[in-house]
Amino acid sequence: MNLILANMPFILQGIEVTLWLSVVTIACSTVIAVVLGTLAVTRLTLTRLAIKGFVEVLRGIPLLVNIFFVFFVTPLLGISMSSFSAAAVSLSLWAGANGAEVVRGGLTVIPRHQWESAEALGFKSWEVFLLIIWPQALRSIIPPYIGNLTLLVQATSLGALVGVTEFFKVNQIIVERTTLMAGHSPAFIVYAWVLFFYFCICSCLSWAGRRVESKVHGREHLKSAA
Amino acid sequence: MSFDLPYLIDQFPALVQGLLVTLQATAIAFVFSLIIGILGGACRVFRIPILNQAVITYVELIRNTPILGQLFMIFYGLPAVGFKLGLFESGVATLILWAGAYQVENVRAGLLTVAKGYHEAAFSLGLSRPLYFFLIAIPIAIRAALPSILNTSISMLKNSSYLQVIGVAELTFVAVDRVSSDFHTIEMFSAICVIYLVLVFSFSFLFSRLERRLNKPYTA
Repeated sequence: MNLILANMPFILQGIEVTLWLSVVTIACSTVIAVVLGTLAVTRLTLTRLAIKGFVEVLRGIPLLVNIFFVFFVTPLLGISMSSFSAAAVSLSLWAGANGAEVVRGGLTVIPRHQWESAEALGFKSWEVFLLIIWPQALRSIIPPYIGNLTLLVQATSLGALVGVTEFFKVNQIIVERTTLMAGHSPAFIVYAWVLFFYFCICSCLSWAGRRVESKVHGREHLKSAA
Repeated sequence: MSFDLPYLIDQFPALVQGLLVTLQATAIAFVFSLIIGILGGACRVFRIPILNQAVITYVELIRNTPILGQLFMIFYGLPAVGFKLGLFESGVATLILWAGAYQVENVRAGLLTVAKGYHEAAFSLGLSRPLYFFLIAIPIAIRAALPSILNTSISMLKNSSYLQVIGVAELTFVAVDRVSSDFHTIEMFSAICVIYLVLVFSFSFLFSRLERRLNKPYTA
């Protein structure tokens, strides 16, 4: 415990990087998810197939391989990236693909007649989308989307493997340094603290997700009762 | 930049070797995680005191922490307090613990679909609780939970790539190892991407066929 307190400034730096990585990734992946998820329910067959391919491939490849691929292969293609941006790019693509699936699912549960009646009332198609379909779809999108965010926060730990000095990496360094200097490994206590840290963040997020979900379902109950 | 196909053909046996380790780890972890899932699911559904809370804690702990952290805890953390496991065992143990938590939830969801009537019928026929559970509830529950159980297993197959980090010689490890000595980065990473995709897609396809077959008695 003293070890962790003594290294607090270092750990705080790591937490800051983890936070940034999470925020950047959440922002980018949300953009990807919304755009791809929306395009996936349009009538453009070719676009739909391309998106399906993209999503399936990104979901099929292990995230670890995805990160290694971006980190090691892109420099060979002439794009040099820092380890932070490599991790951010691959996490965004992966989370974007997962999110697109959630968004697509949420949009497809909206019954067809909502489209048809909106069009019959003279709404333009972008108005139908923005004012009628999306607000309804959000209710089924948000709870699983928050669930995905917990996975994303957990996945930022993979940044450590390509050299991002985020929270996980920082603790790894502390273990190695202390083992070298003190002669015995503090791995148990340090990794217990690491798990505890991620647990706190992620269970808060899951709790928020569950709350939103129960709110949504609660309203549905009221609706069916009325 | 060029794509050196002969090199890949040359390295094919090594990749197959790695693939076998990946499949082996996944297969072992599948069996044990399902056992955890069934036992844990039973504790949850029957609300067995203490065990119920223990299982809830276990599931929440695993689902809210990164698998990489769990792996490091088991491989580096436990030996530090005198509990040493081998390389492959540590990796498989992590996969089992990780997937077990998800299987508990899957099996529990399946058990909740078992109609109450079966329970009453089994008791009026004089079946004991364990007999009812293993002979009646579990077969029905597993069928209902099969899609999610198999999904978790596919995730587990993908997550077996994490074992690379501690040095288990599975598919990703073989690729990274070859890359660091031969520098055929693009070829190797493309190859393992394709292999993982083929694996995941073919398992998904097989599983969807299996599910359709198992669903037949209900519909026909």
